[in-house]
Amino acid sequence: MSIAAETKSQVAELGEKYKYGFVTDIEMERAPKGLSEDTVRYISAKKGEPDWMLEWRLGAFKRWQAMTEPKWARVHYPKIDYQNAYYYAAPKNTPKKQSLDEVDPKLLETYKKLGIPLHEQMALAGVAVDAVFDSVSVATTFKEKLNEAGVIFCPISEAIRDYPDLVKKYLGTVVPVTDNYFATLNSAVFSDGTFVYVPKGVRCPMELSTYFRINASETGQFERTLIIADEDSYVSYLEGCTAPKRDENQLHAAVVELIALDNAEIKYSTVQNWYPGDENGLGGIFNFVTKRGDCRGKKSKISWTQVETGSAITWKYPSCILRGDESVGEFYSIAIANHYQQADTGTKMIHLGANTRSRIISKGISAGKAQNTYRGLVSVYGKAKNARNYTQCDSLLIGGDCGAHTVPYIESRNKTARIEHEATTSKIAEDQLFYCLARGIPQDEAVSLIVNGFCREVLQQLPMEFAVEAQKLVGISLEGSVG
Amino acid sequence: MTLALNLDRKAAAAAVVHSHGVPHRRIEEWKYSDLKSALGDQGLGAVTAEWLVGNLPSGVEMFDLAWPNPPAWVMNHFARPTQNVMRAASLALSAGGVALRVPAGAQIADVLKLDFNGPGHVRGLLVLEEGASLTLAEGVGVADFRNVGFEIVLGEGAALEHVRISPEAGDAVLVEEVLLHLAARAHYRGHFAGFGSKLSRMELEVSLEGEGAQAHLSGVSVLDGKRHSDVTTHVIHRVVNTNSTQLFKHVAGGSARAVYQGKVTVAKGADGSDSSQTAKALLLGEAAEADLKPELEIFADDVKCAHGAAVGDLDAESLFYLRARGIPESQARGLLLQAFLEDAVAEIVHTDQRELVRTELLTALKAVA
Repeated sequence: MSIAAETKSQVAELGEKYKYGFVTDIEMERAPKGLSEDTVRYISAKKGEPDWMLEWRLGAFKRWQAMTEPKWARVHYPKIDYQNAYYYAAPKNTPKKQSLDEVDPKLLETYKKLGIPLHEQMALAGVAVDAVFDSVSVATTFKEKLNEAGVIFCPISEAIRDYPDLVKKYLGTVVPVTDNYFATLNSAVFSDGTFVYVPKGVRCPMELSTYFRINASETGQFERTLIIADEDSYVSYLEGCTAPKRDENQLHAAVVELIALDNAEIKYSTVQNWYPGDENGLGGIFNFVTKRGDCRGKKSKISWTQVETGSAITWKYPSCILRGDESVGEFYSIAIANHYQQADTGTKMIHLGANTRSRIISKGISAGKAQNTYRGLVSVYGKAKNARNYTQCDSLLIGGDCGAHTVPYIESRNKTARIEHEATTSKIAEDQLFYCLARGIPQDEAVSLIVNGFCREVLQQLPMEFAVEAQKLVGISLEGSVG
Repeated sequence: MTLALNLDRKAAAAAVVHSHGVPHRRIEEWKYSDLKSALGDQGLGAVTAEWLVGNLPSGVEMFDLAWPNPPAWVMNHFARPTQNVMRAASLALSAGGVALRVPAGAQIADVLKLDFNGPGHVRGLLVLEEGASLTLAEGVGVADFRNVGFEIVLGEGAALEHVRISPEAGDAVLVEEVLLHLAARAHYRGHFAGFGSKLSRMELEVSLEGEGAQAHLSGVSVLDGKRHSDVTTHVIHRVVNTNSTQLFKHVAGGSARAVYQGKVTVAKGADGSDSSQTAKALLLGEAAEADLKPELEIFADDVKCAHGAAVGDLDAESLFYLRARGIPESQARGLLLQAFLEDAVAEIVHTDQRELVRTELLTALKAVA
């Protein structure tokens, strides 16, 4: 089946409904509602964390209490009641699993609906999946193969227990505890997440992948991801998100930290399709994420690729600190906002080292009554001799009730630096649409085709497994936006 | 304007000033121009600055805003309510200014020269009625601190060319807010040449309110030493089929700082809006800095909006080309700098004004290069 045809059949199957809007009925174990020092202690105790980790969390919580929620982004949402949510939810009875067979079949069923059958993936895709079900990682595959290579790929709670020195050395060094309101909140209450360490000279033998999923009602999801690529290593990490349908808004505040040492490369790809809310703007995920990579070593490289189609509110700026000389940062983004979605996303490229290079390609698509903002910063510091940046940000508008905004900041403090920025905004080309329609291609399919063409430069950056899913998502997200 | 109305508008403006305070770098729009720290203890003050009309071409009507009983055309357009704190300050903290009017259909051939001088706050109002046309040359006198609030209203089909030259002004802190309202088919060309000072900010808000209205903004700045120059624009396409272009070029030597913040808004339903925005900066000094922020805010889909921005050094290949033809390096650099600025200068239609800007640029470039 061609991708376009498959998209259509999927849309039909959806019947305007969110495909992943099902709820798995598993007994959940929750922390008491609300947020206090006790909640933080509860989470830490549940995870069996050492004292230093608890102290770290409590320190963050104290700072968070004194902070105020940022207001600068172009997103509007009702006031979040932080006391009216659960900060920890875990499927009950989760003793250590030796193999997948021991995992609750209902959980596995959930993943099947998501299209990531673990068994099949083990056999076919060659992708190791560390699946996060709400807050606790339940199954980790391909561990052995990774062990052979010396790659550590495990839930961060496990890393805190088994590799405390590594965690202590790197946690919070890219996104400091006090970085921003949501990152500080995450530091206090993060329940789980992923830890990756690729040792010197190792090229990670497979793409690492994690699916995040918010399941229980009224729970926030606070993952913490820490990826370290030691000298001369390479790792490609895929992150995908889906969440079941809920009417109330759910909060998601994740923190991702990447560290690339000399000559190391990290490729981080995200497909985010959290529940966006319904056609009337009811429900949906509030996605406030802090993602930052630190090119700490010489000639290191960090590349972010994101396809953002979900969430009612997106507040996300995957950034690169180009500290090492000759380091490279990349940001490829597709952000689609339909119905009442609001996305405020972009990147920061901070050029500190000499001969650093960065590239930003951003494609924003707005439809329905959505607002889509690209917000970016390219900053060249005095010592960043011969720094280079190229930025291209294109916006596509579908319909007259949506908005597309571009807010780029360009700061140069070195005369040898060269920065170029280009941006365009236009509507979906009527001649292209007409061309497709005249050849018997239905409207929705034509829109999907044209938008996929508009996004091509970014889609090409995605690993194969994600590119296919992403193309489908582009079509599904824009279903019914023209006409 | 009745005295009561005047007092009402002043009171409203004073309230805005009081609630916002002096802008500083933590206020997003003032991120690159910290007015509060530049002013230090002296604050905004409440002195009225001076203005001078060098030559009043016949057919242009003038009214001193310090006089009582203003005519209807002043009452209709002067001091519209604003949330812009410095524009509000220019009203709240001053006791005067100048209002000028070109009556309907009048085509004024002579250049109207208007200078703002001395320290303090002052207001300006220029009204071009239906079909009128004028060239305005605005001069900027040196003073410790001056804040000018200038309103320009163009009636249907009116045409204004506005050239403002802000000479190098040492330790001066100079702020000006120009607010423009354009009716249908009105045509505005504005050119802003700046040579910087301790803090120098030119803020333009252009409201395209009638179909066919056009605004073309351009500017150059050449900064040496520790000079600072900030051009902040906001063009709002409020109705269908309006057009705007912006072209700004900056050269910064020494430890100077060139700032361009440009925002284009296309309101909901303003289909057929066409806007382009280009800002480029060359850094010549080791510690020079350029900050560019070309912003788009779009609420309609049938539009054509583009912006481009670039920061860099002189193109090495072009330099090599000239040197290979026997042109000494310093001269070659000078030529390339001139060429870099020229397309923004070429936007000026009035020949004498264009030559004036060119001459000033040449002098300034010699100092920087």
